[in-house]
Amino acid sequence: MNFSAIKPASGRASISMIGASVRRKEDARLLQGGGLFVDDAHAANCAEMAVLRCPFPHARILGIDKAAAAAVPGVLHILTGDDIEAISEPLTVLRPVPGAPDLPYYALARGRALHEGQAVVSIVAISRAVAEDACDLVQVDYEPLPHATDMTRVLEPDAPVLHPELLGSNLLASREDRAGDPEARRDAAAHRVSDRFHINRVAPLSMEMRGALAEWRGAAQRLDLRVSTQTPHLVRKQLAESLRLDEGAIRVVATDVGGGYGMKLGLFPEELLAALHAMVLGRPVKWAEDRMEYFRASTHGRESFHDMTIAAESDGQIVAILNEYTNDIGAWNSPFGSSQLSSVTFTGPYKVADAAVRRNVVLSNKTPIGAYRGYGQPEVNFAREVLVDRLARNLGLSPLEIRRRNMLRPEDLPWTVPSGAVYDNGNYLRPLEMAAEAVDFDAHWRSDRTPRADGRIVGIGLSSFVERTGYASARFLASRGSRFGAHESVTLRANRSGGIDLYTGVSTFGQGSETAFAQICAEVTGISYDRIHVHAGDTGNSPLNTGAFASRTLIAAAGALRAAGLALREKAQLIAAVALDVSADRLVMAEDMVRLRDDASVGISVADVFNRAITGQGIPEGVDPGLEATVHFEPTDASFSFGTAAAVVAVDPETGEFAVERFVFVHDCGVPVNPMLVEGQVRGALAQGMGAALAEELRYDAETGQLVNGSMMDYFAPLATDMPPIELMHTQTPSDVTTFGVRGVGEVGTIPPAAAVANAICDALRDHGVTLSRLPLTPESVWQAIRIAHSKGAA
Amino acid sequence: MTLSTNTIEISVEINGETYVESVPVRMHAADYLRHVRGLTGTHVGCEQGICGMCTVEIDSVPVKSCLMLAVQLDGASVRTVEGMSPAGTLSDLQIAFSEKHALQCGFCTPGFLMVARALETRKTMPSRDEIAEEISGVICRCTGYDGIINAIETHLEQHFSHVERAGKR
Repeated sequence: MNFSAIKPASGRASISMIGASVRRKEDARLLQGGGLFVDDAHAANCAEMAVLRCPFPHARILGIDKAAAAAVPGVLHILTGDDIEAISEPLTVLRPVPGAPDLPYYALARGRALHEGQAVVSIVAISRAVAEDACDLVQVDYEPLPHATDMTRVLEPDAPVLHPELLGSNLLASREDRAGDPEARRDAAAHRVSDRFHINRVAPLSMEMRGALAEWRGAAQRLDLRVSTQTPHLVRKQLAESLRLDEGAIRVVATDVGGGYGMKLGLFPEELLAALHAMVLGRPVKWAEDRMEYFRASTHGRESFHDMTIAAESDGQIVAILNEYTNDIGAWNSPFGSSQLSSVTFTGPYKVADAAVRRNVVLSNKTPIGAYRGYGQPEVNFAREVLVDRLARNLGLSPLEIRRRNMLRPEDLPWTVPSGAVYDNGNYLRPLEMAAEAVDFDAHWRSDRTPRADGRIVGIGLSSFVERTGYASARFLASRGSRFGAHESVTLRANRSGGIDLYTGVSTFGQGSETAFAQICAEVTGISYDRIHVHAGDTGNSPLNTGAFASRTLIAAAGALRAAGLALREKAQLIAAVALDVSADRLVMAEDMVRLRDDASVGISVADVFNRAITGQGIPEGVDPGLEATVHFEPTDASFSFGTAAAVVAVDPETGEFAVERFVFVHDCGVPVNPMLVEGQVRGALAQGMGAALAEELRYDAETGQLVNGSMMDYFAPLATDMPPIELMHTQTPSDVTTFGVRGVGEVGTIPPAAAVANAICDALRDHGVTLSRLPLTPESVWQAIRIAHSKGAA
Repeated sequence: MTLSTNTIEISVEINGETYVESVPVRMHAADYLRHVRGLTGTHVGCEQGICGMCTVEIDSVPVKSCLMLAVQLDGASVRTVEGMSPAGTLSDLQIAFSEKHALQCGFCTPGFLMVARALETRKTMPSRDEIAEEISGVICRCTGYDGIINAIETHLEQHFSHVERAGKR
């Protein structure tokens, strides 16, 4: 499918706006440098905050001498852990680990710091430079304590327990989901493959870091907080709880957000600190995170290991999948904690009725883990898809054929997985066949693995996936203890100029929601796309909502937009009908006019209709003035996107060097509202998936427990020159459980790359018997795998 | 702004306007542009010269302004994203970015625009690989770069075909 055709921005009503690649509403301001990110906003008399952070992974704080810092000219206010309990409550958790206690988490360490980078002292001064100077003068008397940073060893008997007051060990929770009798099926099966797969800890790495601008007007008892967040309304909820304020006293605003990727969910300690300082000082306080802080205090993602077994009969039929995995959550339960979706998608697109998954969550003396794009799905996909290939090799089947034989057929759907989640309708085989055909998989499979002239051997790897997008109702979330809803909401308000103001709590962080929302509003109301003004991310003017994460925005918001649009249109046409003295059902609202459907010469301008409604002058008897609609819409089900990726990789069998020469990605996200945005989401997520698969890893020194590569200099995010050529293909199976048949698309690209590349490398080196089970995949790790295989005599 | 900090007077031309003023010696150029001159389209992402968010044009060369002190701007001519097109309008390059979906969150976009515009001064049209090489000093975490390369390639093709036609005349 060619997504490059751009339709004109002023979509005519005769052209469906849903499915049109219109230019984005966000672009004009961002291209002119006119975005409004947190540090772009200024307030008169604003002071600035800097944070002193613990340099040790685990340390007792014996004393803090702040006298020298307080004496620095320009220092205005200092907070330490001794102050914090009196003036605030611990940060609250939005998505608790089911079955686990909340871990009380004050904004500053009290008595003991549990990870490098934990905030210990915050200082506000007349400038950031002065505040940092003052931080340097604070004397903190630390007693370093034994630390637990290697997640594979945090449960050993001699490991220090992070939260002894609440837990007997560093195991926070353990939960199993199962269906059928997988152990019996496994034991009876002809073939089994098992391994442990290590998933690297990575940084979401938004280009805009976190930040806060807090303004407190004491006489009005009013706090305005500008933050970089994906969830303004949830930040407001958490702020009210931690500040002991009524929610009504707080307004949270996120205008432009410079990337989120799941990391910017909920309230962080420093945002709370900025608010506390502002309330004490009675003047605005700004905090702009720097990159050194970002690597140590913004939540990380992914780190886990998976023990997985797949059992199959000799014909390749998979009869059981067992997966026990352990997530590192870091030192505290961040608002969203570590990823949960491995438990939902561990069986992938395959028809396996007997399956069990156990999730263990462990604590370590490292930066807390939070949500990161994919939220457990890339992790488990790596384990399962690599094992599926090994199973195929053991059975002498092609990796294509074994997937073909096991995939759920359209007639198998809907399909309930062990977690209780239900896959909606789909056609999983089509993307598999399309990806295989694009790389001519069958011919490749039959060919020999002989080196090319450049010494490299070419391998092809497949990686199939499903992705859960959206949440299935508030009931589902309640069963998991989540403290937010599944709904999304919108207010549409007619204005005197003949346009519509669209208010949403969904902030703008690159996903294109302003554009997609306006497209749906234009489609439903008939008002021009250009006349729809989106006001996003301000709790002061938007209806209470949930926020943009879990690939859920459109799944929930489309229903709200449609219902609100229909309500607004219906009332506008009723007013127009009386003005024109015709019946409302004969009218159509399109662009700037409401006209008779069968006689375009009879009409009234939209602006006239809207002014009548707003003034109440010239509207029918019995009709209330005003023209606006607020709708909250809760989806009843999640929808599952699906697809298959194929990587063509050339490997040097001597050095382990490899290059991804082609990456084919075939996916289905249902009905795309804006194909251009869909392609952008997929390509961007693929880049993050490639980065995590091939280069990125936050490494901790085993002895000191300190982060060794926490700077942009040492952490390798993909550059333009690092991206392999990507070929996108697309099938379109409308979901039968969502408005307009949409499926989520924000995270899907992160899921398949690691397994596709690993499988391709192992395919290239199949004569050497190489196996890979640790991310990231690097030339060094491939070289080591070759050496291990050779030492086993497999060659 | 900061107490007990030395300042030095500089004279700098920014987007066509000349400013003569004292700046703190410890302030880097990106902070000066953003917080003194209010040109917040130039962003700060690492202050180590890696991410490229702060890229501006200084004397017609793209420069990472976080690696320069404000005092080093003395006598320089600076162009930021705000000076790229008349207020409220988009240049051909900016339009190409929008049409090719070369931006998502938009935080890195000014940096890419600065680098892309400098490519107009080349003698010949760069290949896609050369464009990728040229922009690899700026990091984008949203797009996967394909849209950015497409936009720059499209824009430069038009640009160089105009140059060629002008040369034949």
